[in-house]
Order: sequence, then structure tokens, then C-alpha cells
Amino acid sequence: MTSSALLPLMILVPFVGAGIVALLPARRTELFRPIALLTSIVVLGMAVFMLVNFKVGDPGYQFESNTTWIKDLGISLHFGVDGISLFLVVLAAGIFPIALLGSNPDHDPKPYYGWLLVLLAGSIGVFCALDLVVFFVFFEIVLVPMYFLIGLWGHGRRVYAATKFFLYTMFGSALMLVGLIALAVLHQKAVGGPLTFDLVTLAREQALSTTASRWIFVAFAVAFAVKVPLFPLHTWLPDAHTEAPTAGSVLLAAVMLKLGTYGFVRFGLDLFPEASVWAAPVMLTLGVVGIVYGAICATMQKDLKRLVAYSSVAHLGFIVLGIFSITTQGIEGGILQMVNHGITTGALFLLVGMVYERRHTREISALSGLQSSAPVMAGVFTLVMLSSIGLPGLNGFVGEFLALLGAFKGARWWGVVAVTGVILAALYLLWAYQRVFHGKAEGENAKMRDLTWSEGAVLAPLLFLIVFLGIYPKVMLDRIEPSVKALVVHIDRNVEGFDAKDVTPKIAPAAKGAEHGGEG
Amino acid sequence: MSNPLSDLLRSYLAVGLFASLGFILVGLLLFLSWLVRPSRPQAQKYISYESGVDPVGDMWSQSQVRYYIFALLFVMFDVEAVFIFPWATRVELYGVFGLVEMLVFIGILLLGLVYAWRKGVLRWA
Amino acid sequence: MTAAVLQNVLASVGGLPSIEFSSVAPSIILALGGVLLLTVVSVTKDKLPVWFPAVWTISAAVAALCTVFRLWIRVGKWGNLSLISGAVGLDRFSLFVIGTLCVSVVMGALLLEGYLRREDLEGPEWYVLLLLAAAGGTTMAAANDLIVLFIGLEILSIAVYILSAMHRRRMSSLESGLKYFIHGAFASAFLLYGIAMVYGATGSTNLARISTFLADNVITQNGLMLGGIALMLVGFAFKVAAVPFHQWAPDVYQGAPTPVSAFMAAAVKTAAFAGMIRVFVLALGPTYRDEWRPMVLALAVLSLLVGSVMALVQTNVKRMLAYSSIGHAGFILVAVHSSTAMGTSAALFYLLSYTFMVMGSFGVVAVVGRKGDGHHQLSDYRGLGRIRPGLALAFTIFLLAQAGVPLTAGFLSKFYVIRSAIDSGDTALGVVAMLAAVIAAFLYLRVIVAMYFEGEPGDEVAPVKVPAAVSVAIGIALAGTLLLGIVPDPVTHAANEATAELVAPRR
Repeated sequence: MTSSALLPLMILVPFVGAGIVALLPARRTELFRPIALLTSIVVLGMAVFMLVNFKVGDPGYQFESNTTWIKDLGISLHFGVDGISLFLVVLAAGIFPIALLGSNPDHDPKPYYGWLLVLLAGSIGVFCALDLVVFFVFFEIVLVPMYFLIGLWGHGRRVYAATKFFLYTMFGSALMLVGLIALAVLHQKAVGGPLTFDLVTLAREQALSTTASRWIFVAFAVAFAVKVPLFPLHTWLPDAHTEAPTAGSVLLAAVMLKLGTYGFVRFGLDLFPEASVWAAPVMLTLGVVGIVYGAICATMQKDLKRLVAYSSVAHLGFIVLGIFSITTQGIEGGILQMVNHGITTGALFLLVGMVYERRHTREISALSGLQSSAPVMAGVFTLVMLSSIGLPGLNGFVGEFLALLGAFKGARWWGVVAVTGVILAALYLLWAYQRVFHGKAEGENAKMRDLTWSEGAVLAPLLFLIVFLGIYPKVMLDRIEPSVKALVVHIDRNVEGFDAKDVTPKIAPAAKGAEHGGEG
Repeated sequence: MSNPLSDLLRSYLAVGLFASLGFILVGLLLFLSWLVRPSRPQAQKYISYESGVDPVGDMWSQSQVRYYIFALLFVMFDVEAVFIFPWATRVELYGVFGLVEMLVFIGILLLGLVYAWRKGVLRWA
Repeated sequence: MTAAVLQNVLASVGGLPSIEFSSVAPSIILALGGVLLLTVVSVTKDKLPVWFPAVWTISAAVAALCTVFRLWIRVGKWGNLSLISGAVGLDRFSLFVIGTLCVSVVMGALLLEGYLRREDLEGPEWYVLLLLAAAGGTTMAAANDLIVLFIGLEILSIAVYILSAMHRRRMSSLESGLKYFIHGAFASAFLLYGIAMVYGATGSTNLARISTFLADNVITQNGLMLGGIALMLVGFAFKVAAVPFHQWAPDVYQGAPTPVSAFMAAAVKTAAFAGMIRVFVLALGPTYRDEWRPMVLALAVLSLLVGSVMALVQTNVKRMLAYSSIGHAGFILVAVHSSTAMGTSAALFYLLSYTFMVMGSFGVVAVVGRKGDGHHQLSDYRGLGRIRPGLALAFTIFLLAQAGVPLTAGFLSKFYVIRSAIDSGDTALGVVAMLAAVIAAFLYLRVIVAMYFEGEPGDEVAPVKVPAAVSVAIGIALAGTLLLGIVPDPVTHAANEATAELVAPRR
């Protein structure tokens, strides 16, 4: 009873917070930040409660709630989390207070915090929606606050970046909307009964013909590929990341980029197992291209923030690689990497933001020798950077390793090429570090302030997680694994001629319903 | 049986025939009068005829806008009459119902007249 | 009361076309409201307060709306009725449309109130024409006979022609009135010629009789019928501003007084689509579906693409909204094209949502136009987010709703249309429609960019004043846009009921 109200509450609370912010007069500038913080901490508290009460070993959805929204269309507010989405929800809830504390808007605090809270609600909603339309609603609604965050509080060519971001995503989701309506209508025609957009039902019944589901998968895939972003639809990302304010970049990295990869797992593999297997070679190729291309582009960048943005392209390539290897380890690695990328890249963006606040430039060539003026910051940067490279013992390693392991099982040659990405990551990050922090500090660089205590306090939880999850990823894996196993079995069962590499092969028909009960 | 379009056209054949006959007749008469009439051109004959008065001024002259409003009012009541005449011939058939309907019609027109009157349209000043 | 007495009298005479006045009450209330307003104001001259015509108009529209609800329940009990020797159809489809028209009259009157005061143009004539136009629209919506439909269309159109030329001091307003009149007269001529040809082919102008005739007889030589269908379609396409019959719309929307543009975009479109659906989907749907659907398909695709692409290059916001309304007409045509009950209710839902969205948008435009109604360039919107945050936020919501962002009416109306297209097997058309929506999204973003991201403090041309009546209208529009997006159930239910028994299932 309480558990079923938890997820709707987590979505509702930020909306209420945003409403309060909207109703307060704009001149009470001192009020907005505490309200936003309080709201996001309440949400984080609920997320922690959820994490603690999550039943380990249960592959199905937990904390489910289901109420009808639009009866005529069979749309219901169906929410729930399983191992796949659990940590993404927690990540979204956790990163918001950090992003709020980590940076301040330079003007108009009222709309800034209002939009951030709407974004928080949308981010939570998108990861726990189990109805296609509700998912789509949140998927689109997060665009609006992000658009304003980039456009109003961004840097440089912010309007261009914001518009590009909005239109790219709109384009993808336009196709997805047609796809999801087609899915529901065709499902209704095949099965009979009322129209439904319920993910669980649609995934279980698999009522579409192969051709139809492949087409619809393509429509979904375009939407997710824009969001991931996959090469060649990635060009909005460097612009958006670079021009966004620090909090915007952090949230883009930690939450928004995960929408695509999460969508691939939840709405690609689960809804269209056959089409996913069919499309896997293409997706793997795009993932690997992303890894290598992102790494090469990152090496070339002159702007520190743009470099981090391109490194995101490479990291997300690993996630796609893991997911479309369609092995338990690969998918687990992908999900781990989603969370870890959020933590690591979030921290990197915060650090770049702090450098920018002090020096008002992000040009790598203008920065040098910061190590001597800001030793603590250099140390923190080193740790985060090493995690991003994927140094064993830090969190970045675990996900990447599992994704590669899965790739070697499911898609060997793609895995082989992808490994070069690891080396390139070391190249561009270490080189950037060398240019920025080593060398001689002159002029402004020599006078730069080191990390303050409050900044350190903001970064501390992220640093803790980087180390902790690197040493002891079992806490996460234990919770992720059952759901991923169930997913792979689901694919195995629904795709003829597909041989799941690391689950018990082809189960007898009688046992099938039972083991897959978790999905329903 | 046959092409529907050509059938449609065929039903217009009679119209076409009559039309061409009309053109031919008029053309014939004009031709005849041109053939027999005397022709003595004078400058006076080429002036536009305006009720026997010599035309003066520009062709694009302004006229009082009030004429326009009166013309409108006239047309309105003219149309009303056109509607009332056929109604009057069948009024026994419609009885009370017809009477009420016509009263509604005239009533609406009257309201329009009241509006025009209050607006000062009927005053010539 | 009087109606009942009159009916008794009529019944005693016997053998006459009986008129159930209570069933056509919405049209009568609106028309009578207009005529009486004219008389009352002219008789009392200047003794009435300035707000009187607006309040009168709104009361008439609300009264008409109340009768719509009553009739809705009655139709639920007694079923659909055909009245006045079958010339008027009383069904939930017409009631839904009439309700939508009443809503747009209420908002239109509120917008006019603020606008006329600012422009020093107060007078009852605006409101009289508004009411008469609405009466014409309601007549069209309920028409079950092509001649009644035509009369309704003419009443509506002539009133709107005059309205768009009513701002006497603006040359562009006069120009727009003349342009609209000439184009509209053409459209009416096409429609009338089409009606004549259909009459020639079927021997009736009554839609029900045409429908039965076509169901019972196979016309072997149907050149006349096809010509009639094509000409009527051209007439309707002119009225709803579908490409390639759209050229008048940008000029007229731009030139007309802004509240009138709002009314045109909302009410004229609604009424014209209602007429179109009555003729094409309800009467000709079962028999001539295969003949007219390709034509509507072409209109829909062209409107979607041309509307959204042409809108991108505009710098005048009113013109931009005009082109975007062409794009929206394309969306509704997609719904009409499906020619199913689902498509028809999608069109109904779309029309109601669009009424709210476009009335709200033009309401903001009317306010930002400032005195003289001339500040309509994109640059006039610079910094609106700073000087008028509430107004800018409302406009943002209207624009995002038109772009189809979720939790607004715009999203669900697009959703319904796409669903009806997919349901009748036109997935490709759905894709085209959504891509056009993405192109159009760019144009809405341009306005938002101007409002929020451009302009320095202090470079505003003139202060923007929001009259109370206009803010009420924008508030209604905002509430409608958001409510239809968040709790659409009652309305979607009504829209489904409106079409369930009316539209013949596809064979």
C-alpha cells in the first residue's frame, strides 16, 4: 500500500515543488534555492527508501502502481521499477541535489529552479513508467525544461544549441509516437480486446508479425538513437553539453543521455526481441563507431567541456555495445555503465564548471599548471578522470569490463574493435590532464583558488561512489542481475534460432511461464 | 453503357445549339442593319449620351455615398417583396403557421429598419 | 413555453412541416441574441454601459451552451432526430460542434472587449456579427440538407467578411476583408455548383436521402456525381484553408483585427470541417469513400507540408499562425481522410483543442499588437518573458501545445489523429503528419526564442497592457488547453459518443 504510492509520490513531489516556486513572487530570490533543495532531498529520501526496501532476487517489477488515465485509449498510469530501472531512478534522484548545490544561476533564479524541479519529475517518471504513452509523455516533457535551461542560462551559442537539441529529439520522438500507436493498434487487431499501451502486456503477448515489429522497432530505435546519441545522430550532444550551464550538463550526462540506452533495454529488447536480434549487428556497429569516433573527436577538442562531451559519446557506445551483445553480462555491464557514466561524467562536468567559474574560459590552451595553484582539485580531477578511463578498482572499470565481456561472448569482432576505445580514452583524458594541470602556471592560472570546502562537500558523495562501486559493485549487480536474466530468457524464448550465450539454454515449455512470471 | 462524361456533354448539346442559334440571329440582324443604314459620321455623334446634357468632367467622379445606402435599403425591401408574393398565393395552405413565419421574417427586417433609422441613415443631411 | 403552444396550434392545423423550436434552440438563441442586441443598442443609443454588448454576447453563448447540454441528454434518451422535414439533424455530432462554437464565441467576445476599448472602436456591431456568424456556424453543423448547409455557410461567411474589414482605420483590415470576400465568394460558388451537380445526380439535396439513394442505386454514369463531389470539396477546402486553396489565409489572418483572426481560425474552421464531415463522411462515406479519399489525402499531405514549411520563413507572427493553422487543417484532414467513427471523433477532439489553443495564441498576439494592432513582427516579442512573464508563459504553453508537447491538448489531439490514421491502415500518412509537426515545432520555438532569449532590458517599443477581459479569455484558453491534455476523459468520451452510431462502419 505504501509501496505502491511511492513512485507516483516521487513524481508528484517535484511537480508540487515547481508549483510552489511558480507561485512565489519573483523578488523573493532567497527562497527558491532552499525549496528546490528540500524537494530534491525529499525525493532522494524516497529513492533511498526504495533502494533499501527493494527485494533482491526478484526479477519482476516492484513498487507497482496502476491507475487508469485515459480510459478510451487504454492508457494507464502504470509505474514500477525492476533491477534495470532501479539504479537509474536512484541516480536521477541522487544527482539532482548535487547539481543544485554544485552551481548557481547567474540570473532569474525563480524559473531556473522551477524548470529544474519539472525536469526532476520528468526524469523520475521516465524511468519508472510502464505504459508506453506515459513513458512517451515523460520522454517528451523533459525536453521543455532542458530547452529553457540551456537557452536561458547557457553560454555562447546557447539558443542554437537549445533549438538543435529540441528539434533532434522531437524528430526522433515523432517517429516513436507513430510507432507506439501502430504497436498498440496492431496488437489490438491481433489479440482483440481493448486497446492497451501497457508495456508488460505488450511484451508478454508478442502479437505482431515479424515485419511489423521490425518496422516499429526501427521507429523506436531512431528515437532512442537520437537520445543516446548514436553516430550519426549525435551532433546535438556536443553543442548542448558545451553551451548548457553546469547543472544542465550534469543532468544531461547523468539523466538525459540514459533515456536512449534505457529505452533500448526496456522498449527495444523487451518489446521487440526478434527485431532486436535482427538489428543487433547494425546497432553494435553504430555503438563501436561511436566509441572510436567519440574518442578521436575528444582527442581533437580545444575546449575542455567539449572534450568531456565527446567522451560521453564514446562511453555511451560501450553501453550500446553491451546491450546489443544480448548477453546477461553485456546488458548488466551496459546498465552498470549507465549509472557509472552518470556519476563520473557528472563529476567531470562539475569540475569543469568549477574551473570555468574561476577562470572564465574552458580553452585547454589557456589553462596550464593548475596543479600547483589548486592541488586538491587536481587530485579530485585525477580520480574522476581515472574512473572515466576505466581504471580497475574504480567504478568506470566494472561496467566497461562487463560490457566488453558480454560483447566477446555475443559479438566477438565488435568487442575487439571496441577495446581500442579504452586505449583512446586513456590517451585523450591523460593528455588533457597533462595540458591543463601540469606545466607552468602563469598569470591567472597561478592565482586560481583551490576547491572550497563546500565544493568539496558537493563532490564528496560522487567520489565516494566512484571508489565504493569500483571495489564492491556486487550491491548493484545483485539487484540488476535477476531482471536482466529474465530479459535474456524472454528474448531466448521468443526468438527462434537465437542462442543465449550465458543463460540456461532453451527451457522446457512448462517451466517457461513460471520463470518469466516476473515480467508480468 | 457509354462514357459518362460524353453523356453529360450530350445533355448540354441542346443548350449549345440554342446558344449558337441566338448568336447567329443577333449577328445576322446587326449585319443587316449595317448593310442598309446610311453612314454619315459627325463629331457630335461620338459623345457619350447622358440624358441630353453635355457630359463634363472626369469619368471617375465620386457620387454621394448616401445613394448607396438607399440602394441597399431598396434592394432589401425589393427582395422582401419577391418573397412575400409567392407566399401570398399559398397562404391558405400554410395557415397560422405560414402567418407566423412571415411575421418572423418581416419582424427581423423591421428590426433592421429600426437600426438603420436610429443610426440616422434615413435622414438626408 | 411559447414553442410548445405554437406546436399545439400547429398540430391542430395539421399537415404542416412541424418545427421543434427547442431542438434548434442554440441557433435560435445565437441569431436572436444578435438581432435583439442590435435593436436594443440602437433604440437606447448611448445610454447603455460600454461592457453591455460583450456581456450580452457571452450570456447568449452560455445560454446556447446550456441548451446544448440539455439537448445532449435528450438525444441520449430519444436517439438522433431529423427535424424540419429532414433539413436539420439533431445528433451528438452537431451538438459537439455547436458547443465548440459557443466556446469560441465566449472567448471571441472577451478578446473583442479588450481590443475594441484599446482601439477606440467600441460598438455593438462587432458582437452582433459575431453572434450571427456563430448562428450560421451552428446551422451548418446541424445541416442535414445541402441547401441549409449552404445558407449556414453564407450567414457565417458574410458576417466574418464584414468583421475582418471592421477596423476602418487600418488599410490592411480593409484589404483583408475584400480579399476574404472575393475568395470566399469563389468558394461559395464552387460549393453551390457542386451541390447543384449532386442534386442532378441523386435528385435530392437532403443528405439522408442522398445517402439512401446512393445505397440503393448504382449510378452507372457518375460523371455528374464525381464532378459534384470534386467541386464541393474545393468549396470546403477553401473554407478550411487547405493547400492549394489556402492563399487567402495568410493575408486575411494578418490583416483582420486580431480577435477576428482568432475567431476565423477557430470557429470558421470548426464549422467548415463540420460541414465537410457531414457531407463527405456521414452522407457520402458509405458509397463514395473510395472516390473522395484520394483527393482528401492530397489536400492533407499538401496542407501539412506547405503549412509547416511556409510558416518557418515568416517574420510576422500573425502570418506565422495563419500558416500553422493551415498545417493544423492538414492534421484534421488526416482524420477526415480515415473516414471512420474513430477519425471523426479525432477531428472533433482536435477542433475543440485547437479552438482553445488558437484562441489563446491570438489572444496573446492581440495584446502584444499594442495600440494600433501593428506590432506583430517577431522582434516585437523580444523580452516579453522578462516584462510580462505570465503572458509569455501562457503563450509558450499555447505554442508548445500546438507543437504537440505532452500534457497539453495538442498532444492528445495529434495522438487521436495518428491513431485513426494507423487504424485505417495509413501509417505512412501518420509519419508524414508527425514529421510536419516537427518542422512546425521549429517555428513555435522561434517565437519562444524571441520572447525569452532575445532583447536587452529597456528596448521594448511600448508597454504591453493586458485588459481584464482578455486575461479572462486567455485564462479560459489555458485551462482548456491543459485540462484537455491532462484529464481528457470526459471530452474524449463525448467525442466518441458523438460519432459512434453516426458514421457507417467501413465495408
